[in-house]
Order: sequence, then structure tokens, then C-alpha cells
Amino acid sequence: MKTFLNSLFLLALLFPSILLAQNPLTGVVTDEASSLPVPGVNVLLRGTNTGTTTDFDGRYSINAKSGDVLVFSYIGYKTQEISVTTQSNINVTLAEDAAALDEVVVIGYGTVRKEDATGSVDIVTEKDFNKGPIISTDQLLAGKAAGVRITTNGGSPDSAPNIRIRGGASLNAQNNPLIVIDGVPIGNDNPAGISNPLTLVNPNDIESFSILKDASATAIYGTRASNGVIIITTKKGTSGAPKYNFSTDVSVNSAGEGLDMMTSDEYVRFIQQYHPNFVSNLGVEPGSVVTNEPVAQTVDGRSVYNTDWRDAVFRTAFTSNTNFSARANLLGKLPFRASIGYTNAEGVVKTDDYERVTASFRLTPLLLKDNLKVDLNAKGVFADKNAIDANGALAGAIVFDPTKPVFNSAPDNPFGGYYTNTNNGLIDGQANPLALLEQRERPERVFRFLGNAEFDYTMPFLPELRAVVNLGLDASRSKIEETYSENALATYRIDNENDAFVFNPGVNYRERQHITNTTFDAYTQYAKDFDEGFIKKFDVQVGYSYQNFKNDGNQDRFEYDTETGLRIPTLNADNPTNRYYNVLNLQSYFGRANLDLAGKYLFTFTLRADGSSLFTEENRWGYFPAAGFAWKVKEESFLKNVEVLNSLKVRLGYGETGQQDITGAVGFYPSIPLFIAGDNNSQYLPGSSLYSALPFNPNLTWEKTTTYNAGIDFDFFKNNFISGSFDIYKRETTDLLARVPVPPGQAFSNTFIDNVGATESEGFELNLNIRPVVSENFGFSINSNIAYNRAEVTDLDDIELLSAGGTLRGTGAFLLFNAVGQQPSSAFIFKQVYDTNGNPIPNSFVDLNGDNIINNEDRYFEQIAPNWTFGFGLNFDYNNWDLSANFRGQIGGNVYNLNKLNYGFIESALPTNNTSITNVLNFYDGAANPVFNNVIGNVQFSDYFLEDASFLRCDNIALGHRFNNIIKDGSVRFYGAVTNPFLITDYSGQDPENFGGIDGNFYPRPTIYTLGINFDF
Amino acid sequence: MKKAILTIIGFTMLGIVSCTDDLNTEPQVQLTLDELLAQDPGAITGIVSRLYASFALSGPNGPGSSDISDDPGESPFLRGIINLQDFTADGMKNRWGDDGLDQLTTTSDWDGNNKFFRYLYNRAYYTIPQCNNLIQVLNNSEFPNSEVIRGETRFLRSLAYFYVIDAFGKGVLATEDNLGQTQPLPEATREELFNYVESELLAIEPTMPVTSEYGRANKFVVDMLLAKLYINAQVYTGTARYDDALVYVNKIINEGSYTLTPNFIQLFSADNNTTSEIIFPLIADAVTSQSFGNTTYLVNGNLSPDTIPIVEFGATEGWQGHRATEAWYGLYGDLETTTDERADIFWTEGHNYEMTDYRTWTDGYPAVKFRNTAFTGTSTATQFSPTDFPLYRLADVYLMYAELAARGAAGANMSDAVNYVNLVRARANAGNINEAQITLDFILDERARELNLEGHRRTDLIRFGKFTGGSYLWPWKGNAQNGVAIPSFYDLFPIPEQALQANLNLQQNPGY
Repeated sequence: MKTFLNSLFLLALLFPSILLAQNPLTGVVTDEASSLPVPGVNVLLRGTNTGTTTDFDGRYSINAKSGDVLVFSYIGYKTQEISVTTQSNINVTLAEDAAALDEVVVIGYGTVRKEDATGSVDIVTEKDFNKGPIISTDQLLAGKAAGVRITTNGGSPDSAPNIRIRGGASLNAQNNPLIVIDGVPIGNDNPAGISNPLTLVNPNDIESFSILKDASATAIYGTRASNGVIIITTKKGTSGAPKYNFSTDVSVNSAGEGLDMMTSDEYVRFIQQYHPNFVSNLGVEPGSVVTNEPVAQTVDGRSVYNTDWRDAVFRTAFTSNTNFSARANLLGKLPFRASIGYTNAEGVVKTDDYERVTASFRLTPLLLKDNLKVDLNAKGVFADKNAIDANGALAGAIVFDPTKPVFNSAPDNPFGGYYTNTNNGLIDGQANPLALLEQRERPERVFRFLGNAEFDYTMPFLPELRAVVNLGLDASRSKIEETYSENALATYRIDNENDAFVFNPGVNYRERQHITNTTFDAYTQYAKDFDEGFIKKFDVQVGYSYQNFKNDGNQDRFEYDTETGLRIPTLNADNPTNRYYNVLNLQSYFGRANLDLAGKYLFTFTLRADGSSLFTEENRWGYFPAAGFAWKVKEESFLKNVEVLNSLKVRLGYGETGQQDITGAVGFYPSIPLFIAGDNNSQYLPGSSLYSALPFNPNLTWEKTTTYNAGIDFDFFKNNFISGSFDIYKRETTDLLARVPVPPGQAFSNTFIDNVGATESEGFELNLNIRPVVSENFGFSINSNIAYNRAEVTDLDDIELLSAGGTLRGTGAFLLFNAVGQQPSSAFIFKQVYDTNGNPIPNSFVDLNGDNIINNEDRYFEQIAPNWTFGFGLNFDYNNWDLSANFRGQIGGNVYNLNKLNYGFIESALPTNNTSITNVLNFYDGAANPVFNNVIGNVQFSDYFLEDASFLRCDNIALGHRFNNIIKDGSVRFYGAVTNPFLITDYSGQDPENFGGIDGNFYPRPTIYTLGINFDF
Repeated sequence: MKKAILTIIGFTMLGIVSCTDDLNTEPQVQLTLDELLAQDPGAITGIVSRLYASFALSGPNGPGSSDISDDPGESPFLRGIINLQDFTADGMKNRWGDDGLDQLTTTSDWDGNNKFFRYLYNRAYYTIPQCNNLIQVLNNSEFPNSEVIRGETRFLRSLAYFYVIDAFGKGVLATEDNLGQTQPLPEATREELFNYVESELLAIEPTMPVTSEYGRANKFVVDMLLAKLYINAQVYTGTARYDDALVYVNKIINEGSYTLTPNFIQLFSADNNTTSEIIFPLIADAVTSQSFGNTTYLVNGNLSPDTIPIVEFGATEGWQGHRATEAWYGLYGDLETTTDERADIFWTEGHNYEMTDYRTWTDGYPAVKFRNTAFTGTSTATQFSPTDFPLYRLADVYLMYAELAARGAAGANMSDAVNYVNLVRARANAGNINEAQITLDFILDERARELNLEGHRRTDLIRFGKFTGGSYLWPWKGNAQNGVAIPSFYDLFPIPEQALQANLNLQQNPGY
């Protein structure tokens, strides 16, 4: 492969010099600001296909005669046209065009110039991306677009992002936006072992994000577009000279402070004070443990250690990223880009390791006299991570008794050197969290290929007509194998036969999975420009789209023999390989028409028919119309010459989109009657299999979202001093696909998905970019966004309360509900009563309805998701220095402090179902209030535990310096960055940025220090 | 090249046409009925197996799966029966303090939002349409042995309806005739449901075989449900049907080949499937039939490693939840001196006789009636219980006979009643009684001594008029340590709020 690439580079290098030999008209193209030559500039004779590009030194040479017009264009610069008279030498300086990269917007089945877009579309390009050690693509975007809220589940390298555009429209259907990478819509099923599908694209390959927010923009994607669309476009080849980029960075990650649990000293004091009967459970029997850890003190004759379990489980982690990319134009005809990348990321929890190799290749040739545009894309990723039992380890790090040592190498300790509480030989209480991490290996290896081939053919006999065919493949192969080491306490079992105990090292679980998603779309477009007349432009397109998502996998499961305690394969006679097989098929027909009247009034109409395999044939098709209108106010004669106004556009949009993805709630075949065989441990009558009729609903059909949007795009003063956009919207979702109770006795379960009820949301978004200083060697700009979104369930038929999950303490104790008049997934809680000192009175609540009884009627709702989200970035340039800082936050919203509930009452230290004591929050410095002796009944539903989740987070600060003369024909940039340096919040728990609204065993988001170097040549 | 382009376009059009078929996706793991019948000649038995399992298991994919959208651990049928029949009554209390379970234990603050009422309701109305579905399948085509299977299925549906009648007093009448109807069904009264179940059982009773494979219904299982229905008819319909009850009690005693197991404890041990006393078990197995809501709930729930060496009972977990009260173990007299072997099930060491605080584990004696160990031979400690639950057994039938005799049922005689009661007592070495001692109060107490924690108690107390009101108090009745009167509408549970919202034809029970 390497030699092949090398020869490609060589060809690319040679090519411009062959052209050189030909021609009299020559010149040098330089950058206006730096006066450096610009290689790769396209030089074209206007109205012809004749042209060339500039070489390394910015030189070009072309055959031209007097009267010809030369067009100099290059991405990122303003295009210049120069008429040829009699000169034989024309030197050109190109001015940077800040808005240039924004100009073309990818909108789905095509592109549109930003100024001609009628829908609400946000563009985020490379210059706006978050800086620092970016591992997954979503991190580039966090906080960068108004109304786009990205909340990761935590700080693990592969942590799943929850992305919401304008909040979610659905209750039980999918609420994530549709993600399209280079024209391939990505499935909602992640490859096994991957939590974050966006780690499977190298962030360094990303050129831009287009975020389609209103329905007039998303309608062309119809199905799956109710929650907005994020279109990710990767970098292309160059039409000019070859360019290479090499970058590498290293980072140090640290977890910072955790919960305020008791230290060993404090804990001894606490047990002595509150639980004197359990003093004998502190520490260990002297001499029973062999470890290097020093005994801190002796209490009642027992050796008490001083262990910070958080320290035992966390580590300072290192991350590195290295990328190389090359862009070139083979034979002047085959622009291509290739890249390879390697990432090695450690999570701050020990053994949470992640490794990734990426490669991408993109070829964008023009064939058949430039009538056939071909775009070939191939991206391969190999990811290998060690999946850890993060929940178990994080919980252990919080609650494990701090008076116990971490290690015990005493000969009678069978657990591989880890200290373990036992009772009569059985493991007792919490497992040693370090052992949980170090005694298990679970490599989850995924190879994913994402590729597409697009053919865009312009009919030579009718240049207004083009046909586009796009074939896409998103395939992944995953392998998971979980093994335990010798003496792993998780595999410790009773051997009844020999009246002994036995360990079971080796394989405990395997899974193999093949995901094969294929997409195919084809459309024809007829577009005509008119020089004269009222109609300036007209285009219409019709097309068809096919998407098939197939997820086929199987598992090796094991169980422990009840006699011998040995691990044996689980037999599953009716499904011996524990196979799962899920297919979703979506097909659509769509049409779109654009009309430009007088160069000022733009209209877009879209109609789409969507079919989903999740619905029966009768209910399968949904029809989704949309219309957009834009008025380019700036083009009106009364504004045309107003200099302070660079552009001004008003947009109106209306549209309907559909939602069908309920696979997360009811699987892939929810509309037809099916049976499923019971597992081996769910058999009943001896000698017979067991078959269950699965619940289904033949009447399921599309959920529909109607969006109304009004927006304004503006750009004022010289140098785009103030530019931005403002949008206001309203969104109504009807025929909600919600899991609701079914009339008793009339279905094969008590609840199922049905088209019931409605939600409504409204809000506004402001994107504002300010460039107060633009000068030759100093620049300062601010980009900022703020969004308000209010969502409400407006109809649930006759259902008052619909559980939305959110388990607190104990089975079936749910915090979150959907109810009419409330934001979806709101906390349903009691109002706490406080005494005169401000201490809560346990189990005492305000009688809100005044009937002298405290029951569910007295509960009220508080929202979890915030109304306000915002982000802003500051960018400074001074000569070759650049400094940027990005911030993000939310105002409002709530988070439930589950740890305060679980570890904030006196009796929480006492054993339940075992004999081991556990750590508690520090009652001595106010981390918890000792008025809570225990928490039973409704204590957990008190609003005392629900806290304001407003926060401001500094995402990253980066400082860089560029050296233009270290290497020939290139530049080197050094930079340092700190990610997540600080967080401002009133929240008393771990982290207020919590998607589910319940802060429990949270994987902390680390603070990361990065040093990097970037070569462009 | 033009040709090539046209070819591509041609293929494209062809592709589109052939692709629309792909919208009919075909599952590979789940099966249609036809596929299932073609694949497994025993498919119908497999479906019946699932209907039986519906009374013990949570779902088809292990103890963590659930057929209904309620917690798989908390919502299985048998667990619901124990929660609603025993914890609400005098003999058993739970200490966990879960919202809802506390209200059952203290017979106070009941409302339609209590999830534990919903669990049983949902389970019954999960099982009923599953039965309707199979009956429809059997009606639509011919299968070997379909007469018997249809009879079993109608029995299982009747059993589910029995608990609707007993616990909630009304519901809807979902049958194979209205299967698939989406329009909410009208409310059916207790009497309508009673009449339906009676007619169903009478229709199948003559067709049922007298013997069956273990765990499956036969003629006498049907007789037992009929007897249960009739003996409670006064409560259910306002009309006593003791004479009818006696007919079916007699059938079981005289025509069935059931005998009392010599040792009481064996009935609740892992090898209880070898006894000849159990008429209808709910099967459990430590490996192949696991549930957190079958006998496992009874074994682990009454154990705690804090006070009990749980391995002696074959358990690996103690959930530290259930204890008996003096209202139960007080019935044996002095536990130290009583000869009644049925008193051996209480774990007294480290526990207090009185239940001063029902939430304190050591207040009250755990009732280790069920255990994972086998009565004969060796056994191993397991997480899930291997012990079947005796839903119907002969001792119950004997005591029903005595009760019917005491209530003056036509055809019953007191000497047989004395004989039957003494058979039950003699087995436990509890001493004989005489005819004069057979009063209704005695029978109620004897039923407690023999049958508590077997899912009958609340129904018994209601039939004897002792559940609501203040004529009989027990610890924590009405949320007071020594018990207080509770209102008579507590004789029925509230209809779950979720059901009322899903079907507006349903009305809440009076009082709630």
C-alpha cells in the first residue's frame, strides 16, 4: 500500500511541470495578507474548460489571448477575474474570504449556496471546531451550534453522546438526530462494543457539519428527520498541488476531585459515634492481611488502614493522536485525499483503554469531459477497547470501607492478592473495585467500513439535466470476548460436590456481530438559470432512496453449574448460537423544486413518501410535504447600496417529517404476530420447549412532526463585524409513538407502542459572530450561540402519567414521568418540609392539595432538561500566535443527586443482605445531613435531592504558534491546550451535565492537558 | 459511455422495482405460527408450557426478562399472590419498606397507584389473551390431542380470571371471540366473571383426563378450582354454593389418587415433586426454570445471613424481607413445647416474638417453610429455588371438606370432617381433635397452621368475615402495632390506575 501511495504522490508532483512547458502568459499568485505564494489556485479561461493550477511557488502559465478573462479561484479566497489585454505576465493577489467556506451548504441530495438556502441550516467548519485531543467527531461540535445539545454519558474515551436538536420530539421513538456521513445515513444500531458511533470517523478527516434544524430543511430526509439532521462532510482532494499534513498530540488526563466521602479517620469516628455495634467491623483482624500499605491506627484491637478507594481505581491517563493526510490531484484529473490516523486513549479509570486506527481515501475525479462527477469515498476504522465494569468499579470506589486495605497477599487469601470481605468463605458485600477492573479483560474489537460511490452525470445534450446515483455501504464486524484471570473474585463459586470453593478463569462471554447497512439513492435534477425575466432560476428534482439496516449476531453465554460451581456453556436448544437478527428497511420517493424570483424571492417545495418495514403494508407509507421561502432583503433596491449591511435574508419554513424508529422500545417486528422460544432457564413443562406469543400492534404508523420556522440571517458592517442568524420555531408532534397501557386483556402485554397523543415545543436560537478587530497582524473574534427550547406533552389520550424510567432506590422506584402539560421526562416529586434550622424533616412533605393526606396527589413536576443552552468561543490572532477558548453551558434544568440519597443517611453504612459496612458521605462537613437515619417510603421522591443543573463549562483553551519558515514550502504549528479546565455550578454532586438527570455512578469527565504539533507542507 | 450510463439508469429502475419487496422484512429468530408449527411437532405443547409458566416465570428470556412492562423481579404471578394474599393478612409481614409493599403489609393507604395491585392485575390480563390466542389457534386447525390441550388452556384462563374475581371483584371478559378487538371491552361484573368461569370449568370438567403429566391440569385440578369458586361464592356473588363446592371436594377425595405426604416439611422441599399430595404445583427449577417471583421469593425472602445460616436451607442469598407474626406462630401454643411439627418452620434464634417494628428484621420469626434443600438425599445451595409451589394440595381439600361440613353443606358429615382434619393434624403430630372442636373459628386457625404462606390467607379471612372491620385484629393491621379496624371496602383491592386509564369503561372499586 505504501509504495502505491508513494508512486501516486510522485505522479502528482510531476504533473504540473509537464504543463509548464507550454505557454507564454505567466504570473504568480500570492496571498494578500501574507504575500506568500499560493499553490493550487485554479486558473481558468472564463466560459471554457481550459485551465491550469498554480505550482508550489504560486506560478502559473496559460495560453490566453487578448480579450480572454482569467478566473482565479481557490477555496477560502475570493474569486478574482482579470481581463487579458497584451500582458505576458499577470501577478494576482488573492484576498481571503472568511465566508467562503460557509458558502456552499450540503443540504441532502445536493448542495445550495448559503445565501440561497431557505431552511434553517447551521454550518460548523474546521475553523470553529473545538480544539484539544478530539477523539470522537461529536466533540468537535459540542457548544458550537445553537439548539444542538450534546451530552456525553461521561468521561470514558468511548462515552456515548446524546445529541438533541431543539430538544426531542418523541417519547419512546428515537430522539437522536439523523447523521449522514458523506451521503450515507448512519444506522441507529451501534456496532457491538461501540458506545459512540461517532468515534468511528476520524475527527481529523472532517471538513464541515451542516445541521438541518427546521422541517423545510430536513424534509428531504423525511423519515428519521424529525429530530434534525447532522450532515458530516469529510475533506476532499485538492485540485492544485499536493499538500500533506502531519499532526500529533499527547495528552495527560486526570479525574479531579470526587464525592466528599469519609476518610478512614472520619469513618472510624462515624462508626464509633453512630454504629458502636459495628466497631468490630472496622479494619481487619491484625495479622490476617499481608500488604505494604501501612496500618493507620488500631481501633478496638483491629488494624485500620487508610485507603482512598478513588485513588485505587483512578489513574493519570495518557492519550495520543497521530494523523497523516495527503491531498493531491493525480494527472490533473483525479483529486484525491488519503489519511491515516492512530489514537491511543486511556480513560481515567484503570484498564479503560481504547485504541483506534483509521484510514480514509477519497477520490473525486471528473470524467467524460467533466460531465461525470465521481465521488468515491472509503473509510476504514479499527477500534479495540477494553470494556470495563465501570458501574461496579465506580460504585466500589465510592462506598468501599476506607479502613480496609486494597491488597492482601496473605497465603490464605485466594483472591489473587486483592483484599476481599468474606463471610463463611463467601464473598461478602461490595467486591474490591480494583479487582473488578484488573481481573477481567473484555476486548471489544470492531472493524468498520464506511464507503460510498456517487456518480453525478450531466447530460451533454441537455446540460440543465443531471442524474445522480449514490451507493453506500456501512458495514462493521465486531468481536467481544470477556475473560477472567486466575482467582478472579467474580468467578468464585461454591463447589457443592467437594464442599469447597472454585475459581473459573477463562472465557465468560463472547459475541460476534455483523452489521451491514446498505443505502442506495438516485435522483435526477433539472435546473435552469435565466438571465432575463422575473424567474431567475428554476430547478426540480425527483428521486428514490433505499436504506437497509441489518444487524446479525450471536453470543456464547455461560453459566455456573449449581453442583460443581464450574462455568459451563449455557444450552439454548431453540437458539443454540443465541442469535439475534434485526433488519430495518426504509424506502422513499422524493421530489424537490426550487424557484428563484427576481434574485430576491426564493421558494423551496419538497414532497416525500416514506415507507418503513416496521409497519404493516396498509400503514406503511407516510407523506411529508414541506415548503420554504426566503427573501433576500439586501437585494432590494432600497438596501442594495447600504454599505453597513453586507447581507440580510428573511426565511420562513413549514414542513412535516416522520418518525418510525421504535426499535429501541419494541424491536424490529412490532406489527406482526410472532412467537419466540424461551431461553434455557425459562422452561416450564418438563420435556417441552416454551413458546411465547409476542405483543404486537398492527395499527402502528408514522409519528408526524410539523415545524414552523421563521429566521433571519444578517451580516453587518465592514469585515463581517457582526453576522449571525436568529430563528424562532414551533414544532408539533402528533400520532406520537408512545408506550402506553393497552386495554387489559386485549393485547399480549400490558403496554405497547401506539400512535397516541402529542407534544409541542417552541423556542428560538441566536447565532452571533462578532469580529471587532481584523487587521493585518491582529484579529479577535467571538462566535456565540444561545437557544431557548420549551417542550411540553400536550395530549396523552386519557393517560395521566406515563413512566419514563429513571430508577432511584429500589425496584420500580421511578423518578421520571410524562404527563400532559409537562416537559417530557419530568421528575415527579414531593415538596420537602424543612425545620426552623433549615434541615429537611425526613418523610415530611408539603400537602400541596391541602387534603391533609400526603399521597401521589401531592407530587409535582420539575423539568430535567434545561430551557436555555448556550456556547461561545473567543479567538485571538496575533501575528503567528493564536489563542482560543470555548465555553458551553445551560441555564435551568435539574439533576437528581442519587449519591446524596444512597450514601447520605446514617444507616447506609450498615450491611443489607451481608455483613460488611460501607462508606458514607461526610456528615461532618455538610456533604450529607445526619437527619436522615434511613430512607424508606417516599423519602427518595423528595425535591431535596433534586438540584439546579445550571452550569458554565470551559470546554477548552488552546494556544498555538505557527512557524512559516522552519520547513520549506510549509508551516509548522505548535500548540498546547487544556480541555475541561473548569466548571462553574451550584450543583453539589459530581457533574450537573447529565443527560438522564440522575447522577449516580458517574464516570468523571477528565481535565486534559495536551501538547501537539502540526505540519502542513 | 453513453450506453453505460443508460445501462446504469436501466438497472437503477429495475433495482427500485425489486427493492420494494425488502420492506417486508423477515425475522430469523422469532417465528410466525406457521413456521413454529412446521419446525416443532411439539409446538402446541410449547405454547401451553408458556401458559402454565405464566404463573411462575417473569418472561421467556431468563429471570431478568418480563412479559409485561413491569419489573421482572417484582411482577411475577406467584410473587403477586404471596404479596396480596399473605402480606395483607395476619400471618406474614414484609419489612423492605418499598412504597406499595408497606401499604400491603400494614393494610393501609391503598390506592390504584400501588404497583403491587397492578402487577397481579397485569399478570392475569397477560395470561388471559395468551390463552385466547392458543384457543383460537386450536379452533382454526386440527392438532393431535387438541381437545385436552384446549381444556387445559381454558382451565388456565379460568385460573387467571379466578384471581381477578377474588382480588379485584370485576374486570373485562376477554375471550377468543373478541381477541384482536381494539375497542375497549365493557366492564364485566364479579358475577358475570363468576358465571363465565363456572360455565367454562363445567364445560371442560368431563373432558379432562384423570391423570396428567406432572405440572399439568387434569380433572381434579379443574374440580379444585370449581370447589374454590363455589366455597367463596357467598363472597363473590352473594349466593352461597357450599353444596356445589362439596360435590367437587368429594370428587377429589374419592376419585383422585392423592394421599397426604408423611412428612409436612417434604411438601416444601426440593423433592416435593415426588409426593402424591400436590394436586397442582407451580414448577420451579434452579437451572431450567428460574424466576425471582416463584418459590425463590419465598425461600430467599425469609432468609438473611445476618441471623440464619442460609446454606442449611440450600440458599446462597438471603433477602432479609419476610417474617411471620405471632398471629401465625401463636396458633401453635408455646413453640418450645408444642409437638406440632408445623411449628418447626419458624426461625426464632436472634429474633423477637413480638413485631414491635415490622421494618426491623429481627422483629418476628422468619417462616422458613419453603427451602431449597431436598427432604431425602443430598442437595446443593442455589440462587434460584428448585422447589415447586403447591398451589393446590390434598390437605387443603380435607380442610375445605371440614369447613363445608361445618357450614352445613348437603352431603357432608361431621365424622368424615373430624377424620379428615385429624389426618392432616396427625401428619404433623399435632394431636387429634373431636367433633365438638370443629367450629368455623377452629377451621380458620387450622387453615393458618397448615396453609399459611401458600397464597390462600386473605381469601380465607374474607370468607370467614375476619379480614376487614375490627372483629379480628393482628399485628400491623391498619398500620398499628396491635392492629386496628380497617374499612370493609378493603375486601377488594383497588383497580390499578393504569387499567382505568387504558379502558375508560372500567370504574374504580367503591371506597378508593
